[in-house]
Amino acid sequence: MTFYGFFFYLISAVVIGATAIAITRRNLVHAVVYLIVSYFGTAMLFYLFGAPLLAALEIIIYAGAIMVLFLFVVMMIKIESHEEVMFPLSQWLPAAVFGLIYLAAALMAIVETPGTEVSLRMLTATPIQFALYVFEHHWFSIEVISILLLLALVGALHLGFRKGAAQGSSPHDADASLAGGSAGSISTPREAASATIKEEI
Amino acid sequence: MFFHSVLSPQSSVLLLIPATMLPLAAFLVTFIFTRRHPRLCAGLSIGSIAVSLVCSCALMALNFKMTGPIQYSVGLLASSGLDIPFGFLVDRLNLLMIVVVSAVSFLVQVYSLGYMAGDPGFSRYYSFMSFFAWAMINLTLSPTILQLYIFWELVGLSSYLLIGFWYEKFSATQAGKKAFVMTRAGDVAFFIGFLLLFLHTGNLSIVDLNGRAVSAALPPSVLTLSALLIFGGIVGKSAQFPLLTWLPDAMEGPTPVSALLHSATMVAAGVYLFARLFPFFSMSPTAMEVFLAIGTISMLLASTMAIVSRDIKKVWAFSTISQLGFMIMALGSGGYFAGVFHLTTHAGFKSLLFLCSGVFIHRYGTNDVYELGRLGSRRMIVPTVSIIVGAAALSGFPPFSGYFSKEAIMASLAALPNPAWLAAGLAGVFLTAYYSFRLIFILLLPHPARSLGEFGPPQEAAGNPAAGPAAHESHYRVMAWPLIILSAVTVVLGFFGDRLKAFLDAGITVGGTAGGEHFALPSWVPLGLAGAGLVLAWLEFGRRGAKQIGFVERIPPLFRLFAERWYIDRFYGLLVNLVVDRGISYLCYQNDNKVIDASIDELCEGTVEGGRIVAFLQSGMIQYRLLVIFAVMVLLSIYFFFQVI
Amino acid sequence: MIVPFGHVLLVAGIIFALGVFCAVVRRNLIMIVLGIEIMLNAVSIAFVAAALRWNNLEGQTFVLFILAVAATEVSVGLAIIVYAFRRTDSFDPSRFNLLR
Repeated sequence: MTFYGFFFYLISAVVIGATAIAITRRNLVHAVVYLIVSYFGTAMLFYLFGAPLLAALEIIIYAGAIMVLFLFVVMMIKIESHEEVMFPLSQWLPAAVFGLIYLAAALMAIVETPGTEVSLRMLTATPIQFALYVFEHHWFSIEVISILLLLALVGALHLGFRKGAAQGSSPHDADASLAGGSAGSISTPREAASATIKEEI
Repeated sequence: MFFHSVLSPQSSVLLLIPATMLPLAAFLVTFIFTRRHPRLCAGLSIGSIAVSLVCSCALMALNFKMTGPIQYSVGLLASSGLDIPFGFLVDRLNLLMIVVVSAVSFLVQVYSLGYMAGDPGFSRYYSFMSFFAWAMINLTLSPTILQLYIFWELVGLSSYLLIGFWYEKFSATQAGKKAFVMTRAGDVAFFIGFLLLFLHTGNLSIVDLNGRAVSAALPPSVLTLSALLIFGGIVGKSAQFPLLTWLPDAMEGPTPVSALLHSATMVAAGVYLFARLFPFFSMSPTAMEVFLAIGTISMLLASTMAIVSRDIKKVWAFSTISQLGFMIMALGSGGYFAGVFHLTTHAGFKSLLFLCSGVFIHRYGTNDVYELGRLGSRRMIVPTVSIIVGAAALSGFPPFSGYFSKEAIMASLAALPNPAWLAAGLAGVFLTAYYSFRLIFILLLPHPARSLGEFGPPQEAAGNPAAGPAAHESHYRVMAWPLIILSAVTVVLGFFGDRLKAFLDAGITVGGTAGGEHFALPSWVPLGLAGAGLVLAWLEFGRRGAKQIGFVERIPPLFRLFAERWYIDRFYGLLVNLVVDRGISYLCYQNDNKVIDASIDELCEGTVEGGRIVAFLQSGMIQYRLLVIFAVMVLLSIYFFFQVI
Repeated sequence: MIVPFGHVLLVAGIIFALGVFCAVVRRNLIMIVLGIEIMLNAVSIAFVAAALRWNNLEGQTFVLFILAVAATEVSVGLAIIVYAFRRTDSFDPSRFNLLR
């Protein structure tokens, strides 16, 4: 196998391993961090498959914003005082069974389908090429996505809004939370924290 | 339409229509419109039956020399493969019957003017009487067995309505129900019988069935079976053994009803059917033997029951069963004329006897013979004389009509090879004379100390309590005339026997007496036995100083047996209790609860449980549902993958 | 020449199965959302590989949209989780069965 092939298997092992470990962690912060590792691996895979812009976006958005959001929420709520029932049998046994069935079926499907033994070539789509393509063919979807992000913002703000907690927050705190499409429920960490701590119980 | 009439058919139709339809019109008008006007009801009803009587007599006169039966079709019951005409059949037997029926109905309705006066249900009574008259006349004029069956049932219905006429009395309603159910049981057999016939021959016309062609095509087993089944209907309607217990209880109805229905006409419908299908029945000798046996048993059984009865109407009821047994014996032994002649004479003297008893009951308000005797019933001349005439006719003393008809019956019984039937018939003659005159002597020559019940309390009065003593006189007069007319008829009718025989025998082509006469019975034998019965009754009841205790009453077990009507009622009660109440009703009740209700309940419960299960699939912990989504997705993808590949 | 396309699909499949496992088995609302993220990630890998296989940039475009939608859905989802936690003071999904 070529170097790239070996690289692929290595990174795939990392991704799968990190994901597998992430889903079995009791401590949520550990799980999130392992998942960040998994996303790094995925970004490497993207780069390998010739999508450098996506690799960068993956790291920026996925690992950088979404996982950080997870961390915010995990640290905001007192998760350690709520012990989780770990892997009840009635849940993981059927899941494992069906998972194995799924994998077996997927394996068989992959093997039987005629077009899957073709080896991938090394190609790269430069950001310029990619951007041109997207804005040429899917400019409307981009606009829709922007509206979608606006919806997310409004929704999160509404859900997180509590009577009395809004008095402390000023408009510029709301602006500061717009970066990366994060939830508006955490306006200023400090004020939000104090507000939530007051009304948490 | 086919006819062989000598005279013009139009005139017969013109007479038939009012004869048959006018009573129906009277019934409808009186039942629906004129309930509030009792006199108008009575007038309409009596008027319609009078017109029927006149038309019947005119028909008889017109068609006196008819050569064959006339049939008129007014409608057709047509279905696939089924063609049954509806209309009228006129032949000699019919003509005789409608004259008898309309005459007796007319006399009884006139009598009821007096008897039922003042009764709150007066209008209803007359409308039911018209209904009965309509049904009975049409029954006799039916050309097909199906039409006859329809009117047979209607006659049963009117019997039920009239027996339970005083419906506030519980025993009356029970008696009506019992009568209807028992006759219905017989009618089921009747229906199956003629259904069997219809399946085999496709033809229910009476004329055709009596003819050789159709009946010869039937296999003998089918012939016998259908004959026996049809006879089941006769057993029910004419109160023969084993369905005889309804007739004594039917005496709960007003006495004119008993006179009309349960002595002269309705119970005679069974015998009429026998006579109607006489050629058909004669083709099966086994069936005729069975009929003979049943008739004999009923005759003897009922005579024994009459010996010990205290209720005047019940004595005559048992007597009716017994005389019907005689008629069936006569017909069963092949004596067509004997049976029909006895039917005619019996209609005359039995209704006479009932009407006389009705006068006594109306006057004194009690049914008990001893009571009536003690209260001095012999002071009323017309009923007394009439009742003696009737009893003499019943017992078969000359010159009354009963003598001639009984003689004919004995002659036909004597023609049978087995002398046992004749012996039974002679025993019946003896018993008949005995019980009739026992009653006469108790009624007319009461023993002073013999009134209050040593054998139980006097039976309930069934008379009309509403009439006061002053009204009795006018009632008495209107009640007396029918009695006089009937007595006159009874005296005279016997002498017309030969002419009647000629009239009837010309109308019957097949059947007749079986074999030759094995020995001619001297006529003094039945007469002597009747005389012996009278003498015994005189000895025990009539003479001065008689203790008025019958020979049966001296043997208590025998007395109990007869008084309890041979425990037939008990047997039926037990049967109903065991089979119907405890058996079938219980099963139906269990079925209702455990099967029908339970299945519906189980269905509902199942639905609710199913709903609960489905709800479980829908709600609850979200992760199980996610798992299900995942699993289904996997399975679907496998399915589609392996389909595609 | 990197690898056969089937291998990449298999890797994506395994990661997807792991994501499902996480969403179904973990008794924590946040872990459920995390499982969803893992699934989305696996799908992204498959799309990018397919884009490379058939030389079509549609795959990568779709990954862009997946990214955006994932961000949206996580923000709203976490907001809901926090809200639900404030209401019932628990993260256990078995506590959220009012619709039964």
